Amino acid sequence: MRRFKQPDGSINMTAMIDVVFQMIIFFVCTVQLEQEAISEWIRLPDSPNGPMIAEEKDPRTITIEVDGQGKIFIARTRLSEEKLRKVLSKTVQDYGDYGPSIPIRIRADAAARHTDVKRVLDACSSAGLYKISFIATKDKA
Amino acid sequence: MRKKRREREEPAIEVSMTPMIDVVFQLLIYFLVTFSTPDVLAHLDISRPAPDKSQTEQRTPPKMIRVNIYENGFSLNGRSVQIEELASILGRLAEFSKNQTVLITCAGGSEHARLISVLDLCAQTGLSKISVMSAN
Repeated sequence: MRRFKQPDGSINMTAMIDVVFQMIIFFVCTVQLEQEAISEWIRLPDSPNGPMIAEEKDPRTITIEVDGQGKIFIARTRLSEEKLRKVLSKTVQDYGDYGPSIPIRIRADAAARHTDVKRVLDACSSAGLYKISFIATKDKA
Repeated sequence: MRKKRREREEPAIEVSMTPMIDVVFQLLIYFLVTFSTPDVLAHLDISRPAPDKSQTEQRTPPKMIRVNIYENGFSLNGRSVQIEELASILGRLAEFSKNQTVLITCAGGSEHARLISVLDLCAQTGLSKISVMSAN
């Protein structure tokens, strides 16, 4: 008891503060890692009536992004059209029978031209992927 | 006497709170500034006809609702319409049957937001069989 209590009966806070700070640092780091995967400069179009995105998604889900200039990204990595085709068909092959059912989410900027979105759609369908959905903003926070 | 002995054995550790409060306030301010509630997102599912199939797709059965999206307008089954008109007609067609296929053909130069607005109308009216094709 003597080790933890001060003579006047108060608890030594130092150890607790150490632990709490460790936890704060842990959470700060993990939150940033989670946000890493999407590009926040993409302005999504509005769709107030669209169905809300499910909280738990298929872990295989691939999110492809198209920005206003028509550049294609996966997890903030810029890809050319050929590279995207290669990546998608390689992924589908690696998953074997479950490959074509990998869900694809397309986050395209509201100002992107359809030609650029079409390139992504064509790459998906030539890889055999058929579960394609567009992401839009339902409610602005 | 007793008090004196204790003081000698374990002198009370005075934790200086000032630097800790400084750091905690800095953290608090950081979190307040960076805090933003994430937007609620919607997903609009479509199907994409296979590239080789698109050639045979020309002979579309009349049951299909054909929506064309151009750079500066929409057309429904060949008739050019405004977005409000498109919404009301799609609503009436959806009352008929929600199993109808909506074939959306999008012009290459049109903005993605226009395609999303049509998909949103389909979601609103409950039409869920949507395929998106691209025209050049």
